[in-house]
Amino acid sequence: MTIRFLRNKVVEVEPLPDGSLAVSWRLTDDLLKAEVALRVRPPDLEIVEARAKLERLPLRAWSSAPELIKRVEGVRIGPGLRKIASGLLGGRAGCSLLVHAVLEASNAVILHFTRPGLQAGEKLEGEALIAATRAMLKTNPRLIRSCIAFQDGSPIMQGLDL
Amino acid sequence: MITFNRSQLIEAEFPDQETVRFSGVQEDHIYSMEIRMQVRIADGEILAIEGQMKRYTNPVCPAAVAVLQSAVGVSLREEGWDRRVMREIGRNGCEHFAEIMIECGRCLDQARLSKAVWEALQQDASLNQEQFIEAWAEEHPEIRSA
Repeated sequence: MTIRFLRNKVVEVEPLPDGSLAVSWRLTDDLLKAEVALRVRPPDLEIVEARAKLERLPLRAWSSAPELIKRVEGVRIGPGLRKIASGLLGGRAGCSLLVHAVLEASNAVILHFTRPGLQAGEKLEGEALIAATRAMLKTNPRLIRSCIAFQDGSPIMQGLDL
Repeated sequence: MITFNRSQLIEAEFPDQETVRFSGVQEDHIYSMEIRMQVRIADGEILAIEGQMKRYTNPVCPAAVAVLQSAVGVSLREEGWDRRVMREIGRNGCEHFAEIMIECGRCLDQARLSKAVWEALQQDASLNQEQFIEAWAEEHPEIRSA
């Protein structure tokens, strides 16, 4: 059976020589071609630059996207971002696609910082891996009960008093 | 160099007039997952779902595959459906499965619109696609939140 709709989405993080991070979020499907580019400055992860371009057949209501995205400049990636991005970019006069793009681009920035720690521990197996995961949880308590691996009944959580 | 890349691919088939079948893949430097789910078009209810976890970070992760079955019966049209999927599938199972499901859900109306444009073009190759889409969006306001 032929596919009647296909969406391809890519988000990339690239560290720049000045220490900031370039984040490129791109979407292409049968009807829409969209690009959002953010530049994020550590250590407070402030979005210092934001650009958006919607092409192909976007809804007319979304035509203000290039101006709208500027509202996230100055916003920091951190707790409360979902609410902030929805408030600045969403709603009846907003563009839900931009909300999704900013949140997914921000998530990619977090995973950019997560990757080295995971790679450092990837040769661990069995109990050693579980012990390393427990140690990681102690320094990242926001992950507790965030997924099945960190729910109370998980073997990783046994013996942890968090 | 690129230090993190995530790619998502969402496909939609229409096996009959009432149903859409999604296949979603998410690949990144850390995780690799796949979801297939069948959705009733009229009310957005998830009729069937299965998933595969190909790359993950700890030995507990694969237990999230069974949690997917709790999504059967959830409607992708109900208020706050995406937060519900993240809560019930993401928190109780795996947030990366939930991310793929949410992207499939966002594509529900976009896929319907794409199918409608295609069929209209078969009738009239000179169709003004922008006008057709605006008229379709007027009749189907749910597309604006997709």
